[in-house]
Amino acid sequence: MLTIEEVKNKLSNRFKSAIIHFDHPLRSRLFVDIDKARVREISNEIVRMGGRYLVSIGYDNIARDKTLGLIHTFSLDRDDLFVCLRSAVPAEDPVLDSITPDIPNAGWSEREYMDLLGMKFTGHPKPKRLILSDDWPEGIYPLRKEVPWNLMPPPAENVAYQLDECPEGCTVVPVGPFHPTLHEPAHFAVFVDGETIKGCDYRGFMVHRGIEKLCQTQVTYNEIPFIAERICGICGSVHATSYSQSVELASGLKISRRAEFIRTIMLEIERVHSHLLWLGVAGHLIGFDTVFMQAWRVRESIMWFSEKLTGNRKTYGMIVVGGVRRDITPELKDELAGVLKTIEKELMTIKNAIIGDTAIHRRTKGVGCITNEEARLWSLVGPVARARGIDIDVRRDHPYAAYDEVQFDVPVLDSCDVWATVVVRILETFESIKIIRQALDKMPDGPIMTEFAEDIQPLRHAISAVEAPRGEVVHYLITGEENRPERWRVRAPTYPNLQGVPLMLLNDQFADLPIIIGSIDPCFSCTDRVVKVDVGSGKAIRLTGRELEQISRAKLNAGR
Amino acid sequence: MTVMGLVVIAGVLAAVISCAAFLVWFERRLLAFFQERYGPNRVGPFGVFQVVADIIKLFFKEDWVPPFSDRAVFVIAPVFVVASVLMSFAVISFAPGICAADLDVGLLFFLAMSSLGVYSIVLGGWASNNKYSLLGALRGAAQMITYEVFMGISLMGVVIMADSFNLKKIVEAQEHLWFCVPQFLGFAIFFIAGVAEARRIPFDLPEAESELVAGYHSEFSSMKFGMFFLGEYLGVTLISSLIVVFFFGGWLGPAFLPPIAWFLIKTFFFIIVFILMRGSLPRPRYDQLMGYGWKVLLPLALLNLFVTGAVVLVWQN
Repeated sequence: MLTIEEVKNKLSNRFKSAIIHFDHPLRSRLFVDIDKARVREISNEIVRMGGRYLVSIGYDNIARDKTLGLIHTFSLDRDDLFVCLRSAVPAEDPVLDSITPDIPNAGWSEREYMDLLGMKFTGHPKPKRLILSDDWPEGIYPLRKEVPWNLMPPPAENVAYQLDECPEGCTVVPVGPFHPTLHEPAHFAVFVDGETIKGCDYRGFMVHRGIEKLCQTQVTYNEIPFIAERICGICGSVHATSYSQSVELASGLKISRRAEFIRTIMLEIERVHSHLLWLGVAGHLIGFDTVFMQAWRVRESIMWFSEKLTGNRKTYGMIVVGGVRRDITPELKDELAGVLKTIEKELMTIKNAIIGDTAIHRRTKGVGCITNEEARLWSLVGPVARARGIDIDVRRDHPYAAYDEVQFDVPVLDSCDVWATVVVRILETFESIKIIRQALDKMPDGPIMTEFAEDIQPLRHAISAVEAPRGEVVHYLITGEENRPERWRVRAPTYPNLQGVPLMLLNDQFADLPIIIGSIDPCFSCTDRVVKVDVGSGKAIRLTGRELEQISRAKLNAGR
Repeated sequence: MTVMGLVVIAGVLAAVISCAAFLVWFERRLLAFFQERYGPNRVGPFGVFQVVADIIKLFFKEDWVPPFSDRAVFVIAPVFVVASVLMSFAVISFAPGICAADLDVGLLFFLAMSSLGVYSIVLGGWASNNKYSLLGALRGAAQMITYEVFMGISLMGVVIMADSFNLKKIVEAQEHLWFCVPQFLGFAIFFIAGVAEARRIPFDLPEAESELVAGYHSEFSSMKFGMFFLGEYLGVTLISSLIVVFFFGGWLGPAFLPPIAWFLIKTFFFIIVFILMRGSLPRPRYDQLMGYGWKVLLPLALLNLFVTGAVVLVWQN
């Protein structure tokens, strides 16, 4: 166990003048201002202390001191501590050392700020465009404040993403942007030798809609939870909770205990139905539709309950800054207990059927293997990491909401393959049921909303992580003026996990591709949408049904 | 050819095709039953006219030939699949006297026709000029050639025992004991090979929708797709009726039902087994399937042939 003081001492002894300032508003959050020249060394030191890289946050600070900011965030899981290394580079020459050679998972974050802020990273192994569309003009960096939120540069012809070079003797098989395996648009160019996969390049971010830029310029603090919820169609409450917690941390708002319990219950309801959904999809991906139908049938009862509780099957709109919007009445409490009982019973049947099915074993055991060390190096999260023997779970390591008051196990397996992810997810579903039951029992009475004053001091930093069904979600918030964030960065769990997929695919069969990609429970839209303006952005936000129809008709007529 | 002969041919053709059409509905309802949902139940009583609606829809879909395809081959490929399966039905004895062509080499004729069926897959996949289709076609070729080898061998035990390649004589030879008892291994192997031959789950690798979109027939639309679709269900019917002929005594059964009824009941039983398999097994991987074929089923089929041959030889002496 390292305390915050020990981390501070270690850093200041080793790096002395490179450490400019420490800030720790809470016992579990450490913000360090560092010299930009030593970013790479200090990051490595944090990793040596047991830090796990989360995400980087870039922001525009030009108006204040003509710099661009970059924050690398790390989680020290054993010590319940988040360490954020803040550095600044002059805006006219925004060059920094890349940390990607040591921490491969930072690759995307850094590419993101090449695209969006015009930063440059020396030593980056793959400085290609990541987020912006291929026809976005060079030199417009949409996350800079001078760029308006609704800018739509004219589309360009004849531009295309250049794929990585195909290994000799291999053929490129495109998977996506539209493919039965992928339920959202993303493009994997798979290099195959016969049916053996020898590599893969990824071009995603096709539904990037600039949510962050929108929220930094157009709306106010307590409108964002509803937008945050729409980041993910499955784990919406996770994003709303994580965002709300970050605002609460930044403003020092303490919400009522009952609200925290209801948040916990909502998060676990989402985990139950998300894991059931995944189980069905996984069955479908290996050509076993009966699993798909049964898992989704079982899932249906909790969807009905959610509708009763919140008014919606999904996108509940329950969680806002300061608490939750609806209470769990005694009748609903009883009903939920009944629903859980049915699900537990039916899931047990499905579990026994799956565990005993040798045909499923043959399709999932020894498939999509990466070692524990590789998974650690690539900072994988969630069930994908837990299936590789990495014992992390934000609910236990950095407790939030009411997780400090419930008991649960974190299933960890070390067979490192797709099978382990199946087992981990099934076991987690049982744990979730356990958590909901405890939460229902222990939930105290009290108000569900705490008044939120809405005038937070600007430029406070806050980081909040929530364990989504797919892994941890990280929200980083810098408070701003005019009652809205200066910077809000969302990292969905698929963001790190997707970067590990090429490694999992290597030397496996093409037929295993669906289940390997499926095993991370990919949520491409969450991953994509996190950042900002895209050609589609203005359209996506403002289009009404009628407008869409008009455009379609105009196109149809033009075609004739 | 007699008038009676023509009537039989027309009757078999009509019966077989309507059976395949019926199967489309039947399978969807039955799968839905296994998976605790409803299945098509809106068009007509119990949704039986769903098939009619589907066929009308298929007819009116745009019949698209991709500009990058090899046009002639693309058009001819779907014909092969239906034609080859329908030809196989010619040699089946449904009941005494109901047989389109009572060939003495009936069994060999069936094997020859099922080999022809591979062409539709390879040609369809190749002519589509699409990577998914090509992968599907190559898988299809490898899978069907592999499984044909021991499909043939697994039937040789039956031929030795019946002393004939004629399907009618094979049925008659089962008067006292159905071949599924002495030839149980042969039956099991033929059944597995038959599923592979009909390209059904769990052996639908040439199609493998989750990775290959629709495999060899990704590019086909309208009735060209309809042909592949029909071919699949005809294949299921064919393999089921052949299992009945070779191993379950064909039309033989207690006299309170006419022979043709016995034949139909038995065939439908196996069709249901086919559907049940689809509902209860995932798709194995391509390399696992090939390994299973060459390393397990082929040696077993050979063993079955040698043991049967030896036993029959000893018996006759």
